[in-house]
Amino acid sequence: MSLIPFFRNPITDLTGSLVSRQHFEKCGEFEMRMLQCLEAYGMDRGKQKCADLIEDFNECQTKWKQVLRVDAMRIERNRQVNQGERSKDQMYAEAPTQDSF
Amino acid sequence: MAPHIQDMPPEGGYQKIIFERIPAKSYFGGYAMIAGYLGITAGACYLFYLNKRKVTREEIEARSAKIAIHPLLLAERDREFLKQLRRNRDEEEKLMANVDGWEVGTYKGEPIYKTIPKDKFIDPMYNEYYAHSSYWDWAKRAHLKFWT
Repeated sequence: MSLIPFFRNPITDLTGSLVSRQHFEKCGEFEMRMLQCLEAYGMDRGKQKCADLIEDFNECQTKWKQVLRVDAMRIERNRQVNQGERSKDQMYAEAPTQDSF
Repeated sequence: MAPHIQDMPPEGGYQKIIFERIPAKSYFGGYAMIAGYLGITAGACYLFYLNKRKVTREEIEARSAKIAIHPLLLAERDREFLKQLRRNRDEEEKLMANVDGWEVGTYKGEPIYKTIPKDKFIDPMYNEYYAHSSYWDWAKRAHLKFWT
């Protein structure tokens, strides 16, 4: 639970805006949409109404689903090799060219 | 027993021992040396100027060539990036064909972002870009990029 609606003073008002993703960062758009939604619905209803937006913003910051995806694919690849469905020579695909990322 | 023979000086005596100072032959005086120094320096400065002009011109030419080719290189890189994303997608499709409930581009059927349009490009993270290659390929590129 956030502290702000219950505990508010000039210092929290001044410092609340310091940390944000709005400085030309990748997640700025997600953050702005999430905050506008939360501002419209307030703290408690916002949690339900803006759940998807909050989740998207968290995903953009932490990349957690992307990490889980990579893990799942690695586990599946190892499983296939261990059970003999995939030969060890063909375990991995060809690497991307080094200068492409 | 042989008779003693005394070593004597040669006929007419020994040569004179030279002990006076013999100064080195001087070709130039002080003024001539300074004038020569200035003259040679002036000539060298001129040669340096010619050389410098040539070098600057070549540098400008090389820089222009680099600037001209830069958009092309960037475009090639981006193109290769997008092509690799497609290859990754195909590889994922092949790899996860037998996994229940797996949809390509999602985590177990759950989309990565829920609120953005379906055709919007999602920037993959580095690990996901290298998800289908071996650790050594991953490490090679990671160290090249992030350590140097």
